[in-house]
Amino acid sequence: MAWGAIISWYLFLAGVSAGAYLTATYVGKKFPFAQTIRKTGYFLAPPLLAVGTLLLVFDAEAGLKHPLRFIYLLKNFPTSMMTDGTYIISIFLILNTYQGVMEYLGKSVNRWITRLGVIFAIGTAAYTGLLIGVVKSIPLWNTSILPVLFIVSALSTGIAATVLVSTFFNRQACYNLLTVKKIHVSLIGIELLLIFIMLYITGSANEVAYQSVMSLLVGEYSSLFWIGLIVVGLVIPFLIEGIEIYQHGLATKPKYHEISATSSNPSFVPTLITESTVLIGGFILRYLVLAAAMTITLF
Amino acid sequence: MARYGMLIDTKKCVECFGCRVACQMQNGLPPEEAFIHFYEKETGTFPNVNIQILPVQCQHCENPPCMKNCPTGATYKNKDGIVLVDENKCIGCKYCVVSCPYQARVPNHKTGVVEKCRFCVEEVEKGKAPICVATCVGNARIFGDLDDPNSEISREIIKRKAIPLRADLGTKPKIYYVR
Repeated sequence: MAWGAIISWYLFLAGVSAGAYLTATYVGKKFPFAQTIRKTGYFLAPPLLAVGTLLLVFDAEAGLKHPLRFIYLLKNFPTSMMTDGTYIISIFLILNTYQGVMEYLGKSVNRWITRLGVIFAIGTAAYTGLLIGVVKSIPLWNTSILPVLFIVSALSTGIAATVLVSTFFNRQACYNLLTVKKIHVSLIGIELLLIFIMLYITGSANEVAYQSVMSLLVGEYSSLFWIGLIVVGLVIPFLIEGIEIYQHGLATKPKYHEISATSSNPSFVPTLITESTVLIGGFILRYLVLAAAMTITLF
Repeated sequence: MARYGMLIDTKKCVECFGCRVACQMQNGLPPEEAFIHFYEKETGTFPNVNIQILPVQCQHCENPPCMKNCPTGATYKNKDGIVLVDENKCIGCKYCVVSCPYQARVPNHKTGVVEKCRFCVEEVEKGKAPICVATCVGNARIFGDLDDPNSEISREIIKRKAIPLRADLGTKPKIYYVR
């Protein structure tokens, strides 16, 4: 395929950046006391997106040699999804950098700017799926469910990156955010469901789509798919986080258990495993979607 | 203003790769890069089997997905409907490579620019045929104006019942195949 690991990293990083921004905004609104998570999310979003975008620049070799040509990227609006995405990502990068800087300075941000940031974060997450979703010649990509899957994965990996980094700075920061964990575990469940739906329906579209799906399920990429994506990336974090939530529910039965002050022994290791496996899975998902792509047959 | 197209009679093609080599010479391509590639497919059942040979290059679609998706506008159609790449605008994002159903796009490893068959536009403007047509030993290729009902290509398309590849995709390709 013309697009390989570099583009996978970009799709992944843009998704994590958007997810981190959304996590920070959500947590900041719902749980004003959870400062570490909010700050981490806002601090993570700009550099992750910047690195992702930089990777794109390196992959676009002709542009790398003649950087002024990147101006033309804004030209084919709205026909080319890549042009549309350039606008979306540029605006999101400006907004989340502003938000990050203000967070660093300890200043408040106009809520309309944050709301605009949320819109462009969702736009960024969706765009990575739309970019390849509109490619008619590749049946594995040409499905409406792909952008949805990428949005869910972006949210999930965004939460994972934010929680993981927060945990390093402040062990107490995340254990008590049961709501975030509940959202996270639901997202992982939804992602599993979406992958199943996508492969099942896409696989029935035509012969090439079937072969793409089969290369994931039983062929060339099957070990990466089953072990890397399904088991490591989705089932393991789903179980660990699910058990954590379940035990938490047994241990503390207050009516309002969003915050449990009684959380006895903060579980560092499960959090570490859950969040890193989600991130690994998020990357593998992007990689597999690009790698298993096959172009339609001509006869 | 013309609407240039090509007819490829796969029954006459002997798969000598002459067109590909001539094309590489014309476009100064290294040996590992080519604008024409060949597909083979077995047809029929034993003992009546046959190998169908399909030379494929840019189909100069009237509705090219590569042009639609090209973010920089580097891909364009000239007045004669020939799809071209402005190498001074191409950033090498390879969106056209994944968009082309005919896999006709070739990234140049030196410049990063994505290239493809140009219907030898400089020859055509001189009134000549593209080099793959001129060089074909079996006369398997015909080039001409599809808008001119009296051109050889227009007549032969009807006579030999030539059809484009994957017309169902809606790209309206301008290379017609006899198969």
